[in-house]
Amino acid sequence: MPVLLPLVVSSLLFGIGVYIVLARRHAVLVLMGVELMLNAVNLNLVAFDAYWHDVLDSGQVLALYVIAIAAAEIGLGLAIVLLVYRSHRHIDLDQLRELADRDDADYPRDSSGVAS
Amino acid sequence: MTAFAVIVLPIIAAISAVGAAHRWERAAPAFGIGGTAAAWAAAVAVGVQQWGGADPSVVGDGYVDTGGFPISFVLRVDQLSASMLVLATSVALLVQVYSVGYLRGDPRYPSYVAFVCLFTSAMALVVTADDLFVLLVGWEVMGACSYLLIGHHWELEPARAGAVKAFVMTRVGDLGLLVGIFVLGKAAETYRVSGVIEAALAGEIGTGTATTACLLVLCGVVGKSAQFPLHTWLPDAMPGPTPISALIHAATMVAAGVFLVARLLPVFVLSDVALGVLSAVAVVTMLGASLFALAADDLKRVLAWSTVSQLALMFGALSLGTVDGYAAGVLHLLSHGVFKALLFLAAGSVIHAVGTQRLSSMGGLRRAMPWTFATMTVGFAALAGVPPLVGFFSKDAVLAAAVDAAFHGEAGRGWPVLVAALLTTVLTTAYCVRAWLMVFLGARAGQVTGPDAVVVAPVHESPPEMVGPLGVLAALGVLGGVAVLRPTYLGLEPEHLHVGVALTSIVLVGLSAFVVVAEWSRSQRCEPAEVLGPFRTVLAREASYDTLLDHAVVRPTWRLSRLTAVVESDVVEPYPRGADTGAGWASRLLRWFHDGDVQRYVTVIVLGAVSVAVVVGMVRP
Amino acid sequence: MNGVEVLVVGLGVVAVGSALLVATSSHLVHCALWLVVTLGSLAGIYLLLAAEFVAWVQVLIYLGAVVVLLLFALMLTRAPTGPLDDLTGPSRVVGVVVGAATAAVLVTTFALGFGDARIDIGPGDIGSAGAVGATLFGSWVLAFEVLSVVLLAALIGAIVISRRPETPVGER
Repeated sequence: MPVLLPLVVSSLLFGIGVYIVLARRHAVLVLMGVELMLNAVNLNLVAFDAYWHDVLDSGQVLALYVIAIAAAEIGLGLAIVLLVYRSHRHIDLDQLRELADRDDADYPRDSSGVAS
Repeated sequence: MTAFAVIVLPIIAAISAVGAAHRWERAAPAFGIGGTAAAWAAAVAVGVQQWGGADPSVVGDGYVDTGGFPISFVLRVDQLSASMLVLATSVALLVQVYSVGYLRGDPRYPSYVAFVCLFTSAMALVVTADDLFVLLVGWEVMGACSYLLIGHHWELEPARAGAVKAFVMTRVGDLGLLVGIFVLGKAAETYRVSGVIEAALAGEIGTGTATTACLLVLCGVVGKSAQFPLHTWLPDAMPGPTPISALIHAATMVAAGVFLVARLLPVFVLSDVALGVLSAVAVVTMLGASLFALAADDLKRVLAWSTVSQLALMFGALSLGTVDGYAAGVLHLLSHGVFKALLFLAAGSVIHAVGTQRLSSMGGLRRAMPWTFATMTVGFAALAGVPPLVGFFSKDAVLAAAVDAAFHGEAGRGWPVLVAALLTTVLTTAYCVRAWLMVFLGARAGQVTGPDAVVVAPVHESPPEMVGPLGVLAALGVLGGVAVLRPTYLGLEPEHLHVGVALTSIVLVGLSAFVVVAEWSRSQRCEPAEVLGPFRTVLAREASYDTLLDHAVVRPTWRLSRLTAVVESDVVEPYPRGADTGAGWASRLLRWFHDGDVQRYVTVIVLGAVSVAVVVGMVRP
Repeated sequence: MNGVEVLVVGLGVVAVGSALLVATSSHLVHCALWLVVTLGSLAGIYLLLAAEFVAWVQVLIYLGAVVVLLLFALMLTRAPTGPLDDLTGPSRVVGVVVGAATAAVLVTTFALGFGDARIDIGPGDIGSAGAVGATLFGSWVLAFEVLSVVLLAALIGAIVISRRPETPVGER
């Protein structure tokens, strides 16, 4: 088959993953977008492995590594999401502005002393 | 090699004196006297060798590459250097012995001894160095020691002020000397003194260059030897201990200026302008200083102004530019070293006994201090030029050289120098006799009560370690007169005594002394200088030269420094502060973009990566 | 167009389609389930590309573990199960633009580079577990060991991050 077929699929999936990361407001949805991007990369790797007939099977092995690391990453990511949920009672990314560079006085704090 | 020893031995003595002073009480005088005595022995050995007619010896051959002409670490000892070495170490040794008595009980005695030893080394370095920069190093170290020693009693304000004034004024002159050394080095294509002299004798240095170089060197010389216009620091250096005044400010350091001119005379001779300036300075200084000495009330100040005047006499002799002038100048330098050191040490003895430096408070010490009286009389007589003491012969040599120049050679310089020298003879005798009368003869001045209290206890003679050196120097003054009749040790054959000149000077001395004694008797044995009348106050204030300097130089400098401070804080400072404020505004502007929206951050990153990919793809298809 | 190509195209369409649904759905749980479909079709494509081991690992880890984790997270954060209209934020236009641009750049690059290339898979290549395992433990063993350390670190990190600060440490 033309190698372009899986490659185009992979590119489209990547683009959709980017959209999800940039446009969706729920933190778990954003993580899903990240997973989608990683899978697109995996498809790319496997397709090229089939094309080059690599002696070391590097495409497939790297795909396995990506899967493993993606699993580790999503474990940690979801732990962080839970932590954010515990402290803010929501995980709406639009409202999580703590990375802003402001003086302390600009941050309104709720009753438990947590800045929003 | 022996010359090297003369330089190194005192330094070792200095370090040992300071290092061992804590453990051994007598370390300081022991090392001081021992080290200086060893250096003296080495100097005499060198001197005997050179006076016996040996060639100038050269020691050492190290050098430092500077990118221009190298600086050589070479010593060159000829008859002039040998004579200066012997003079310097002899006076230094006598001063070390004298100081044992004078500074008895002084807690800073070890450091004093160390500085005196260091000074001796520096002086030896100056007179034997064959490289102009090494000479300059010795010159500056002497200046530093002078500063440290004048300020020995630094709890007294006059001592501190005097030390700073001496240092600053000589440094101002030394700037000219430094530039002059560069000019000389460039002209002669070497910094070696012997090289410069050879170049001058061979005619390789042009008149213009010689003039520039000599005038610049004169700046340093005028500063170091306290000639007009940098003459006021020497009398103000008198708050230092009297042995220091004897060593540094009479016999050796201030004489270094005369030595330098004598050394570089072949270059000076190439420039009439420089010699003319030198003789003008000499004439003005010798007359002015002797007038100031006549009016001063402080014994040490009289002697200080006398030193300035006698140095001017030496410069006058050198400025004639003749062989006779050179021989006369150097001879007077050596003999002045002897009798001025004697006078200062004797003055120290008097002051130590009486407790005050004011002439008007002294009197009648002839019976109470017989040894001091005898030796100081010899000193004053030598200064005034009474035969057969050494001072008579050296002053006579100067007068003879001036007569020779006036009638047979350089009339332009010869006549002013001759007339000034004759007038100076008169004035010198006048202030010598005045001081001698006021200190030793007459009745004891009334006891002064109050904060100025004179020691009421009966005055007694000084201890033997103080009187001993006085005796030695007095003997030298007498014997030197005899030895001086054969000055071949300078390597020159000057003419014999000018009988006419000798007789004239004796007559002048006699007349002047007679006038002063007469005035003294008339003014009820108090103050012969009353004869000067209203002129006396002008002289006592030393023509208000210091006030003039203060208004012309010191105050504008203060104003300029205050202006600089204001400019720095109001004009220059806002720029760095403005940069700081500007950076703050820029950062506040950028902060506005950081509002915490993570997705926007990621958008920017991805857009950036995509753009880069597109650009790269288009540039390299 | 042989059968393999047809299957690849079909599975590709399914994958992209369900991905689009993940991107646009207004039910949180539906998003997760459409993600399952996407990942599954990808596993199918791997099989067709002679990567059998990778395909099964994909099913095992992604479909089995990752999606379950995502569902757990939705549950623990009390995600509403009904439709939500504010799941896509005001940056949707920007997102579309950037995503489309990214996809376009990638497709263009691949087309320019590999437009005429063809994959030919021999009858014997299936990318079996044995074959992949041999290279994995032969040439890639160092990375393999490092990966196990990474997983351990992630495990510990996740526990530490999500621990509840109930009682002060000293009183335990």
